[in-house]
Amino acid sequence: MPETSAKTTVETISSSLLEERYYKVRHKSGVTMLLCPMEGFSTAYALFGTNYGSMDVTFKTPGDPDYVEVPAGIAHYLEHKLFENEDGDAFQRFAATGASANAYTSFDKTCYLFSCTQNFEASLEILLDFVTRPYFTDETVQKEQGIIGQEIRMYDDNPDWQVYFNLLKAMYQKNPIRIDIAGTVESIAEIDKDLLYRCYNHFYNLHNMVIAIAGNFTVESVIETADRVLKESEPFLTQRRQPEEPEEVGQRKIEAELEVATPIFQMGFKLKGGNTAENMRSQILDEILVEIIAGETSPIYRELYDQGLINATFSGEAMAVRSLLAVTFGGESREPERVYEAILERIRQLKQNGIDETLFQQCKKVTYGRYIGMFSRPEAVASTLLLSHFTGVELYSLVQDLGKVTKEQLEERLRSQYREEWSSLSIVRSHREA
Amino acid sequence: MNMGSGPNRVLIGEGVWFTSILDPKFKSNRISLNLSAPLKEETAADMAALSLLLRKSCQMYPNMTLLSSRLAELYGAYLDGEVRKHGPREILNLTVQGIDDRFALEGEKMIQECAELLCQALFAPNLDSNGLFDPSDLRVERQYLVDTIDSLINDKRAYAIDRCVKSMCQGEPAAISRYGTRERALAVTPESAAAMYRRLLQTAKAEILFIGCGDPSGAMETFRQAFQKLRRTPEEVPEDAVKLAAGEVRNVTETMEVAQGKLVMGFRVGDVSQRKRYNALRMMLSVFGGSPFSRLFVYVREKLSLCYYCTSRYDRPTGLMMVDSGVEFEKKEAAQEEILNQLEVMRRGEFTDEEFSAARLSMVNAFQTTGDSLGSLEGYYFNQILSGWNKTPEEDIADLLEVTREEIIEAARQVSLDTVYFLQGFAQEEDGKGGEQNA
Repeated sequence: MPETSAKTTVETISSSLLEERYYKVRHKSGVTMLLCPMEGFSTAYALFGTNYGSMDVTFKTPGDPDYVEVPAGIAHYLEHKLFENEDGDAFQRFAATGASANAYTSFDKTCYLFSCTQNFEASLEILLDFVTRPYFTDETVQKEQGIIGQEIRMYDDNPDWQVYFNLLKAMYQKNPIRIDIAGTVESIAEIDKDLLYRCYNHFYNLHNMVIAIAGNFTVESVIETADRVLKESEPFLTQRRQPEEPEEVGQRKIEAELEVATPIFQMGFKLKGGNTAENMRSQILDEILVEIIAGETSPIYRELYDQGLINATFSGEAMAVRSLLAVTFGGESREPERVYEAILERIRQLKQNGIDETLFQQCKKVTYGRYIGMFSRPEAVASTLLLSHFTGVELYSLVQDLGKVTKEQLEERLRSQYREEWSSLSIVRSHREA
Repeated sequence: MNMGSGPNRVLIGEGVWFTSILDPKFKSNRISLNLSAPLKEETAADMAALSLLLRKSCQMYPNMTLLSSRLAELYGAYLDGEVRKHGPREILNLTVQGIDDRFALEGEKMIQECAELLCQALFAPNLDSNGLFDPSDLRVERQYLVDTIDSLINDKRAYAIDRCVKSMCQGEPAAISRYGTRERALAVTPESAAAMYRRLLQTAKAEILFIGCGDPSGAMETFRQAFQKLRRTPEEVPEDAVKLAAGEVRNVTETMEVAQGKLVMGFRVGDVSQRKRYNALRMMLSVFGGSPFSRLFVYVREKLSLCYYCTSRYDRPTGLMMVDSGVEFEKKEAAQEEILNQLEVMRRGEFTDEEFSAARLSMVNAFQTTGDSLGSLEGYYFNQILSGWNKTPEEDIADLLEVTREEIIEAARQVSLDTVYFLQGFAQEEDGKGGEQNA
């Protein structure tokens, strides 16, 4: 692939194991682009993301006397408002290309996206344009409060959401992952256009952003569009304040009442996180451990299932968010405390007796198969590329490394990290039962 | 640039069809086996319980740990069983999906192994010497079925839509849950599940779909031989029967401990049994309420800030069109009024050419995307088989692009409001203070 301009560089990254390759473009504007054209697909899935999410509520630029603290939910509010420019709504502009557009805000990032089978370049131009051209007025900012207020209310009624966020609140004492992504009806009332511009100017810096695209498109068309639309960004200097998070959980147990049929629960182990890249690699180990501890192949899964203590809704997950690392298990259960105890006991046993070799091999295969499956889905490829950029871990190396994981490595991890006293249990019950 | 080939459908046994849809771009293969029966309140729970029992174990892997281990050996292939509803039909589905042979690290014949596992699940279930399911297995799965029926209440949006459909369609198949009633679920026995199993094998029409990148011929042969061992007398499944127009509007309000109100409006859409009318209706819905540029989103959400979501959806086999929105309790009337107002706009043909053109582009996008995932290809082609239309996504697109503005207006005129359902909070019941925190 030829270089298209003096300052834009293109690097090819390939994997013979996966029969795949993608291109890493360092664009002259400052943005990094990870581009994976996929033969035979009709859809192109494009993501434009910034390393800025609900956790980023306290920050400053060097030279600023002190950190500024902004209201909870502002990253999400900004995501909603960015869709509007003086010349109208980005959804309306996408309507003219046929692309299906959306956006989401998570703890540590905000992403804007579209998928299309036609008019790729025109859609990409809209995406790059609206995200880099903010337009907020008092009136448009005010108008959004009703819409986001109803989004918050919708989540208030969602027990799966509540049980998960309560768990995070119980586990983390200081880290802003505790904050609701959309904020509260009260916190969003404090948001005005000046605050939105301030956050925007800090975090929507192209050096802090990435474009990840997979599917039906050409690398040249992306570079040409970026050349046309993106202006060079200043260096990214914003500093985030990271509160010191203790190793201990804040609360071992948290309960809430909502209209649910069977109680639902989430339990979590707060692990010692490292830096973002270390956490991304650790997360894969934790994914295998989740399978070993209580995956469907594990003996405990069947015991709990046959006793009626868990059902098919039960699942486990490994989570890495910047410096934080955790493992969670959850689902429906009539007796969540007993499930929690059984999993703690299962971990004690594994620490004492080691991991069964057959189970280890099987769980490794499951994790490998999951990653292979992902590579036939453009949206999964683009999302994982974006994640790999923000964490600084090359995507294919993650899958290659999977083959090298040893049983001893997992046993060591289990012994040092999965500690009962660093675990919490969150339950949502119906008010009839509570 | 779609390099896939169209569907290849072969009759491989008495009432058994095998359809393959191939595309080299994929890295996995998916085999979906579907048995169709009439949807009935008396039998739905038995069928649902059966789907859970079949996915849990079989003779060769007689408990879930052994079966899961087998799936893990196959690189985390998944085997699932469920019941699906399609108008007056209930479908028992068993699906297996695994990575293609060429990615297997130890040269495993993945397609063949997966096909055989699916055959084991269907033809050699874990029955005792009396031909019955294990009572303790049954007890656990029955409880899960009951929990699944009960837990609909956890998702207030889905719950509200379900309540609206049930009050709207009393006596129609649409009102019957695919899981059956709670009472019927509690009454499932090892005998009733086994009887349902035998009846399905004998009388259900079977549709097997193979979607992926590998060679389906071995899998097809496996199923052909397995079905040949049975004596089958397949029965016709009922045709769609839908109510065309609404009578007087029915209003239903329920109260629950919720923070947000859920408004659901159920409509009848007239006679769309002809392809042309059906296409016009789909296009009408795209302009009206299918996307973020549709009128419901633009007017009810963006212009009036009444809600976070407001969308319309249509289910062809039942003929139901549903509009739903999550709103503040005291804004229910305003939202309802605006939704009906937007329908009037459609009927008067006051939508813009830009909106019409956006709907066309969006439809093209949606159908072209179908070919990029195993799951959506399965859904699309299975629907084609059931409806008897046997279209490809490309043909669907061509049909939709022929729809005219006048046909859209006519489609909107055929729509009639049947039922308005509202789920409100206790605060509203007392004095309407439910929305006090909202600016």
